[in-house]
Amino acid sequence: MGVVCVYFYPVPEGKSGQQVVDGIQKQIELLGAVKTGNFCVDCETFQAGSGIQNTPQRQVNILHSSEQPASCFAILDTGTCLVADALFDGLMQKLKHYYQQRKGSKIESKGQRYEYGDFIFKVGSVSQASNFKGILVEIEYCPCVVAGDCMNLMKEMSQSLLGSAVAEQQSSFLKTKTDMIYTPADTMSQYLEHFNNFKKATSVNQAMNR
Amino acid sequence: MQKEEKQLESSLADITAKVADIKNALASFLYKLENEFATLNWPTMLDNFALISSNMNSLSRVLRGDKIPALRNFTLFPVLLSPDTDQELAKLTEGRLFMCNHEVVPDYLRTKPETEVEDKINQLHTKANSITSDNAQKQLNNLNKITSNILDIINSYREEWDNDSKQKTQQPQTSSQSETNTLIAAISMGKGLRLQSQMPQQSQQPSPGMQQQSQKPMPVGKMQSSVKTTIRAGSAGHPYPRP
Amino acid sequence: MENTFSVGLKNNIAPQQEYLLQGSIVDLHRDVLLHRLRGLCDNADKQPETFSDHEMVFVLRGATAQQNPVLFRVRRSLDPPDDPSWHIRYLGTSEIGDKNRHTLVRACFDVACSNNVVKFLNEMGFRSDHEYCVKGYFFHKGRMKVTVSKIYRMVQTGTPDGNTQEAMTQSSLVELSVVAPAGQEQIADDMKNFAEQLKPLVQLEKVDQKRLSVQ
Repeated sequence: MGVVCVYFYPVPEGKSGQQVVDGIQKQIELLGAVKTGNFCVDCETFQAGSGIQNTPQRQVNILHSSEQPASCFAILDTGTCLVADALFDGLMQKLKHYYQQRKGSKIESKGQRYEYGDFIFKVGSVSQASNFKGILVEIEYCPCVVAGDCMNLMKEMSQSLLGSAVAEQQSSFLKTKTDMIYTPADTMSQYLEHFNNFKKATSVNQAMNR
Repeated sequence: MQKEEKQLESSLADITAKVADIKNALASFLYKLENEFATLNWPTMLDNFALISSNMNSLSRVLRGDKIPALRNFTLFPVLLSPDTDQELAKLTEGRLFMCNHEVVPDYLRTKPETEVEDKINQLHTKANSITSDNAQKQLNNLNKITSNILDIINSYREEWDNDSKQKTQQPQTSSQSETNTLIAAISMGKGLRLQSQMPQQSQQPSPGMQQQSQKPMPVGKMQSSVKTTIRAGSAGHPYPRP
Repeated sequence: MENTFSVGLKNNIAPQQEYLLQGSIVDLHRDVLLHRLRGLCDNADKQPETFSDHEMVFVLRGATAQQNPVLFRVRRSLDPPDDPSWHIRYLGTSEIGDKNRHTLVRACFDVACSNNVVKFLNEMGFRSDHEYCVKGYFFHKGRMKVTVSKIYRMVQTGTPDGNTQEAMTQSSLVELSVVAPAGQEQIADDMKNFAEQLKPLVQLEKVDQKRLSVQ
């Protein structure tokens, strides 16, 4: 378990998502990384109804990661992230009179997982309700647990792999946590940030198309 | 006359048979006591006693029966006393009596107590008659008092022993139902765990929502309703203060 | 990807039913019970394990009467105090059942979680309802769990220490429970047999909590 950066990889005009994914995977394989199976990060959104006393209507995002199969990450729109046993999903069901699952809100990033020395790469295609949304690439540097200590190394790796344009974007979330111990919850917060961006983009697109 | 004799004869046979039954029961019991004392258990002992007792009962029933002529009306007197051994007699008594002589006859055919005993009885009779009825009454009362005292003492001791043995088999009270209920109500519903300052609010504000609920006969409702009211008090501005 | 929970539900391996028997023992005789439990349960050669927990009960309440309040019980270990482990427990309404079933049965979710759970629940709209401390011993016999514990009232909210607690009663609560996947009714029989062995020291029974609330 180390420090993780999740990058948004744009799909250029005239190319399909699959083509871009293939391109990145080829790049990674050329480095000499070894395929180590598939991975999946999924996210479901629960919205508070109007019926809770003395509380603004909150949103709870429930994330799972194949990297932590027994855990469940519940992230509020306030940013608070609760890490719990996977059984937490059962607790959410008990709250169904207060927090309703948004229909079609389930969004996930799925793809190939690679290992390369101290690094782990994950190339994920993001889809919501089986619509392709975009590409997220995750780079993990295992020997380190403080983000600030390996930021430059990560940047270098991402530049060589994904190009400097992509490497420049750094999660606003990660910037605030440069000298704290990095945890899987931080990875999930990054994913949530990207997922939310995808959803926003979709709604903007829909608004423009209208 | 002949009829009476016949009756006597047949009833004698009856009596002999019954007596023989008693004798056999006694003999077998004695045999068991002597030879099987190691394996003999209490129930078989009781069985034997019961057998003997029932034989005695049937004998006395025969004696009291209508068919038996009044035996006391018959006299028996020895015709012949002989110092010689009588084989026939020995056989009849199964070897217990060998001769019918002047020594044994008074013992076997006795109808009155021995003279010494008779004297003693007479003495007691005269002594009893010499006491005045007042005195006698007093002594009677005394005796009754003493007996009832002793009876009381025995009864109180018995009670004590009974209690003792009960306490030995019955553990002292190790759990209390009311405490169990208090504890379970506390952990399941928070009864008695909410802070003092919140209690008055709770009793003053029986919310209308709760009253509606408790009228519903649904099984879950009842429990829920009590949880609800107490919660309303708790949530009225006492969020858990974060450290 | 199917998450672990739904897989667990589908294969009926997720523990979510609690079978429960309850009773209490007067403090004076508690050691006798502990001694007996030590003999009956696993690890008889070891000293009984102790625990010391702080439970905070949170409630999510709706504005309308249709919404039944939901209670989450948050527990943390006070032992050791510097590294508490936290978990959320959800308990459903307990079913008394008929005479053929020897124990209470209720839905039960035990979910271990990170230490920011109080903040998280508060932000979700949960409010603290009450809290208490529970200290005592626990034993295992197979998958049966026995706890003998005292319940302490908090004099002040917040961090519990020795000065801010008072014992509720002169008795310890005794609970025999198994958390198992749904439909494993035979466990209730095992529990009944075990409870028989604690008589007459403790009467472990299925206590109707609804009845207690009426009193």
